[in-house]
Formats: sequence, C-alpha cells, structure tokens
Amino acid sequence: MSNNRSPRTSAPPDPSTGPWAFLAQRWELVTLGVLAIAPLVIPALGGALGGQVTNLFIYCILALALNVMVGYTGLVHLGIASFFGIGAYVLAILTVPMYPFQIGFLAAAVIAVLVTAGTGLALGAPTLRLRGDYLAIVTLGFGEVVKVTLRNLEQITGGMKGLNPVPPPGAGVTLGGIDLGKEFAIDPRWFYYLALLSLAGVVLAMRRLENSRLGRALVAVREDELAAQAMGISATKVKLAAFAMSSAVAGLAGCLYAASLSTTADPNAYDFNRSIMVLCAVILGGLGSIPGTLLGVAILVGFDTVLAPWADSWIQQMNVNPKGLSYLSFSGWRLAIFGVALVLVMRYRPEGLIPSRRLAAELHEGGAGS
Amino acid sequence: MNNNAGPAGTPLLHVDRVTVRFGGLVAVSELDLDVPEGSIISLIGPNGAGKTTAFNCVSGIYAPSSGSVRFRGKRLERSFTLGTILWALAVGLLTGLLFAAAAVDVDRLWLAVVKRGMITGEPFTMSGAMKRLRGYFRSELAIDQMAGKWRVVSADGSDVLAIKRDLGEATLVRDALQAKVTARRTGPGTIPDATDLNPRAAAAAPQVALPVVKEEVLDRLAAGKSRIRWRGWLGLFSGMLLGIAGTLAVWQRGRRSPHVVARAGISRTFQNIRLFSSMSVLENVLVGLDRTIPGGVFSMLLRTPANRRAEAEARQKAIAALDFVGLSGDANRIAGELPYGDQRRLEIARALATGATLILLDEPAAGMNPSEAGDLAGLVERIRDRGVTVLLIEHHMNVVMRISDRIAVLDHGTKIAEGTPAEVRRDEKVIEAYLGGEG
Repeated sequence: MSNNRSPRTSAPPDPSTGPWAFLAQRWELVTLGVLAIAPLVIPALGGALGGQVTNLFIYCILALALNVMVGYTGLVHLGIASFFGIGAYVLAILTVPMYPFQIGFLAAAVIAVLVTAGTGLALGAPTLRLRGDYLAIVTLGFGEVVKVTLRNLEQITGGMKGLNPVPPPGAGVTLGGIDLGKEFAIDPRWFYYLALLSLAGVVLAMRRLENSRLGRALVAVREDELAAQAMGISATKVKLAAFAMSSAVAGLAGCLYAASLSTTADPNAYDFNRSIMVLCAVILGGLGSIPGTLLGVAILVGFDTVLAPWADSWIQQMNVNPKGLSYLSFSGWRLAIFGVALVLVMRYRPEGLIPSRRLAAELHEGGAGS
Repeated sequence: MNNNAGPAGTPLLHVDRVTVRFGGLVAVSELDLDVPEGSIISLIGPNGAGKTTAFNCVSGIYAPSSGSVRFRGKRLERSFTLGTILWALAVGLLTGLLFAAAAVDVDRLWLAVVKRGMITGEPFTMSGAMKRLRGYFRSELAIDQMAGKWRVVSADGSDVLAIKRDLGEATLVRDALQAKVTARRTGPGTIPDATDLNPRAAAAAPQVALPVVKEEVLDRLAAGKSRIRWRGWLGLFSGMLLGIAGTLAVWQRGRRSPHVVARAGISRTFQNIRLFSSMSVLENVLVGLDRTIPGGVFSMLLRTPANRRAEAEARQKAIAALDFVGLSGDANRIAGELPYGDQRRLEIARALATGATLILLDEPAAGMNPSEAGDLAGLVERIRDRGVTVLLIEHHMNVVMRISDRIAVLDHGTKIAEGTPAEVRRDEKVIEAYLGGEG
C-alpha cells in the first residue's frame, strides 16, 4: 500500500522498523493467512468448533458494519440487528423451497444487500437531523419495529417459526464433479471459508473507505459537522451514505447467518440484545478501528459462544457440579464476567483495546484540556 | 451601495440591508456591504458588534431575518430544479407504497399472490402472480389447500366457504359462489366486471351441490372489493402526500445550508478554531479538497486507476496548500497537536483548498504576538495575490490598517463607518465606539 499513512513522527517507539513492523502493518494479511491454514491443521474446525468460528466471522462483519456508523460517522446506532435480520429474511424468502423464487445464493445475497441498503436509506432520510441520544432512540425503536414486524407478518416470514430450510450456498451447483450444496451441508469448513472470504472482502472495503474521500468526509462530519459543511461537504449525503453502507454490510452478515444456520431462526434472534452485544464489541475494541472491532468481537462473542460452552462442558466433565447448580456453572457467571470486563476496560482504556489513531488523539486531548 | 454599477462593476459579494434577529435581540441591523473582486475588506468593531453574525449569515449558517446576500449577483440558495421534484415524487411513491401495503394487509396479499401459487403445484409465472394480484384487489374467491383438502376461501383467506376432496369440484364451487357474490355487487364502483363473471360458472351450477353460505357472508364478500380498493388508494394517496410534503419541507429547510454556500465558492475559517482535530494535518486539507476529487463509492471500493490518480493528485494539491501556509513539514501530525498559530494557518489552508474565490477569515490573528500577526498579514496578502478575495474580521489594528483596501466598522449591529484605512482611522464615530462616549 503505497499511500499508507506514515506513522506519527512524535511517537517514541518507531513502528516502521524492527521485526514487528511487518506484523503491525500487515496484520490483516498475517491473520488471514493463519485463519486460512487453520482448518487444514486443526481437525476440530471440521466439527462444531468450525461452526462457532464461522459465527464469529459473521459477527465480525456485523460489527464492522456498525463501526461505519458509530466509529467513523459518530452516529449512535442501537438497531443494527434489524438490518442483520432483514438481510437474513430477504435471503430466506428468495431461496427457501416454500416460495417460488428459489434463486441462487449469490443473486439472493446481492438482492438482500440492496434491500437492506435501501431500508437503511429509508430509515436514515427522515432521521438525519437527529443527533446523539435522539438518533439512538430512533434506531432502538426501529430495531423493535422490525422485530415485531417480522413476527407479525406471519404469512411472509413464518412468524415465530422463521423460514427454513434455507438451502446452503451453491445448492444445485456442481463444480468439477463436486456438488457444492452437498459439500456445504456436510462440511462446516466450506462455510468457514465462505465467511472468512466475505470478512476479508469487508475488511478490504473498510480499509479503502478509511483512506478515501468518503471516509474522510464521514470522520469530518463526526468531528465537526458545521466545519465539514463549510468545506462543501453535504452532511446529509454523507450520513445517508453511512446509513446505506452500514446497513448493506449488516445485510450481508445476515445472509451468511441465515445460510449457515439454514434457517432464519425466530425474529427474537434479531433483537436488541444482538445490537447491544455488537455495539459493546465495537466500543471495547476501539471505535473506528478495524483491528479493534475484530478483536472486540473475538473477545466478547468468542467468550460468549465459544469459551463459555467449552468451560461449561469442562466443568461437567470434571464432575464439579453434579447437581447442575447455576452458580457453579460457567454460564451462570457469564454475564457478570462480561459486565465487569466492560466496566474495567471503560475505566482504564476508554478508547478501546486497539484505538483508532484518530479517536485516540481525540480522547487524550479531551483529558488534557479539561 | 447601489448595485446599479452595471454587470462589470457588480461586486463579488453584495450584502444588501441584512438584518439578523435572535428573538428580540438584533445582532446585525440593516448591514450593507460590497466586496469587490480581488480586494481585502475588513470588518472591525468592538466585541459583540455582530461581525461574526454577519459572517455566519454570509456563509449560510444563519438565514438573514431580512435582506439578501448575493454572490456574483446570485442568491446563495439551492435552486428548485426538476431533480428536486423527481426526488420528492420518488420519496412520495415509496411512502405511498408502504402505506398502501399496510392498508391492504401485505401479509394476506403475500398469501394470496405468492403462497397460493405454490399450492396448486403449477410453476410460478409472472402472469399467474399478476392474475392472483388482480384477484386479491377484486376480492375474488380463491382456492387453497389445507390438510390434503381443497378449500374455497375469500381472497384474504379469512373466510372458508367450502371444503372439497377434489380440486375440480372445488373449482366449480368456487366459480358458482363467485357468480353469486358478483351478482350482489351493486352501487358505484362495484359494478361487476367481465373477469368477475366466469362463463364456466353458469354451466357448472347444476352439477355441484353448493354449500349453504349465509346471506351476510355473501354481502360481506361482495362489499370486499370496494373496501380493499378504497383502502389501497387511500393508503397510497395519503402516503404520497405525506412523502412529497415531507421531502419538500426538508428541502426547503436545507436550502440555505453552509455546504451550498461553500460549493458556490465562499469558504471560511472560524473564530474558535474548528479543525477536525483528531485527523492529520494533511487529511484536514484533503477534506477541504473533497469537492475537487472525482469518483463515487464504487470506484473507491474497487480502487480503480482513476480513483488512485485522483487521490494522488489531491494529495499533491493538499501538500501544495500546506506549503503555501508554511505547514508542509507537519503534514502527518495530528491537527489538534499543532500550536495555536499553526492551527489557524491550517484552517486557512483547508479553506483555500476548497477552491473558493472568496474567503472569510474570522480573527485569523487572534492570540498571536505582533511578529506572528505580521507574518499572517503577509499570508493574507499572498492569498489576495492568488486571486482570492478576502473578507476579514480582525482586532489587530496594525494588521487591519496595513492590508485592508477598505474597512467597515460595526457597532451594536449597525455599520457606523466605511472607507479606506486612513478615513476610518479619523472617523469620529469609530473613535467613540472604540474608546467610549467621552472621546
């Protein structure tokens, strides 16, 4: 990347030299390489663990989507799960055998992404004048409206039953003698790679966004909307673009989610809890920071969906808790640990674990100035 | 102050009797100001004289309570174009369709159009779907299946009229009942149309045993057509009205926004520095260059050669702009970390980067020592020499007196004097405003 920002001259340890430089500058390639090789080396990824890690990737995409709104543009969004849900349902409607459309995964995903982007615009357009808390309340309300709508449009969405079975990607496609649909259904590693590929694509897109005209405009609007407007930037258009992109990427995550579960699950899967979980991950990792967001998801969601079940089964195996008492099971303490960890991070590292360079500067300046 | 000097003599900026009121407070009163192209005009006056308010008014942050601001003879407002109308119509159509969908019960519409097509096992075709769609809005009886039996149901599925084992038999019953329902349709808007009456129905009537259907059910079904159509139109119409009115209202309120003014070619700096303080110095200028960088979202995501070239060019321009104000060595520093004077100069670089032909500088030398202020005066002159007109608010009198072509003095929102530096310096009213009534 020729136009990578050169590091700050004032930073004491110069990260442009030394053995860690490659790792620091090309962290995404290194991580991608490790994750791409992992399923070939670790057999467990061919089993349930593979599904859990795939789920983690999908959460990462969702968190990056939210990061566009909350991190770059500074608009608090508490309803990202609704776009996730809309993506999942649109994909399901277009692919399930119950309905006559039954188009391929790729085409359905493209339509679903366009629909979620459009929904994002439709939510964004009337709410652009709202800032801070007010927008948060609107998005929170929107999330609930979508959830209840999905539940009540029973003829379309199947109500609480959801739509299933969503066929795996590549159903009916044979490539070099391999029935892709069957492969996807049997081996979770196919999904693992699909999700990883999508995640890599989204990370690349976000990197490009950060260093582009639009990305700078997003940050400028976050920093000082009036000054940005005085530079000829239409805050309206920039915010709408943020809404559309964020929703589109969340919709993509929803598509992968529905396809990987082969069901949309019930509408409660797209409720406030999911939105807030993703928001926590973004804040924990570092607002506006791609590696931070990914790390935040890996820690929070990884803890919740990978570590907690594993610890539970370990406790069971050790026979520590034969009576099944909730305070002796790990899941019983799951949320408490979660909460304490968040409190500690916010107390000692408010800018997140891997803060974005821009936001870190902002917070420290605020601290010094007061 | 008259603008009858002819087109050649039209000033770049013409402020005509602008008054700005905040509630009962008059911040600027009947201000006239002409800024000829290529000049440096200063606004001076004691604190609270309304200088910054006048700036905000020119740069579109406030709308004047009365009077007008013209730039190159044009009002600084977004014009009402065909695009505005089309956009309002598009939004209106969208809200209209949403309202209509809710009004005609989109859930049952889906059942009637999509799901019933699957029931009879025929392949899904567009024409079949359209037929069922028409059927829904005519509130025609339909056939669906439950637990292996065929049912004759109302279009929205809420009434079940007959249950048969055989599809053919069910079809005949449906046609016969449809004829009965259609016959009951009276009154305006419910005249039976050709598609309601199926020729098969008459022939079928004797062959099947019709189920007993209550009179009031038949009446309700007969009334269903006008009801659903009325609801649909009402939803569409009210939604469109709301959407169009809302879009136009928002357009009207955003008509005079700062970005419209900035795009017309007026840029500004702020009295209390408003940099994007967590972005780098270079990025701040790049934001100023935003309008000059071509390309949309997709070329950015695909990073097309054109996009790379545009970004590289913008970088060069930004560095040139930083060079101009003497900050090129700090390009990669965080803007908020710069010393105060440099932040002011960065703001000027950012404003110049927009390609503005008129730049408003709001106290650029505030907080500077005399030597720095002298440098700044030189910078302002160099800006003028680049062909950019400057309107300046400044308190450093030696800066103002040295570089201004003309000076306007404001006090309590009114212009009390205007003229060359030498004239203003001698003006009684100005001395009084600055030194107090006894002077």
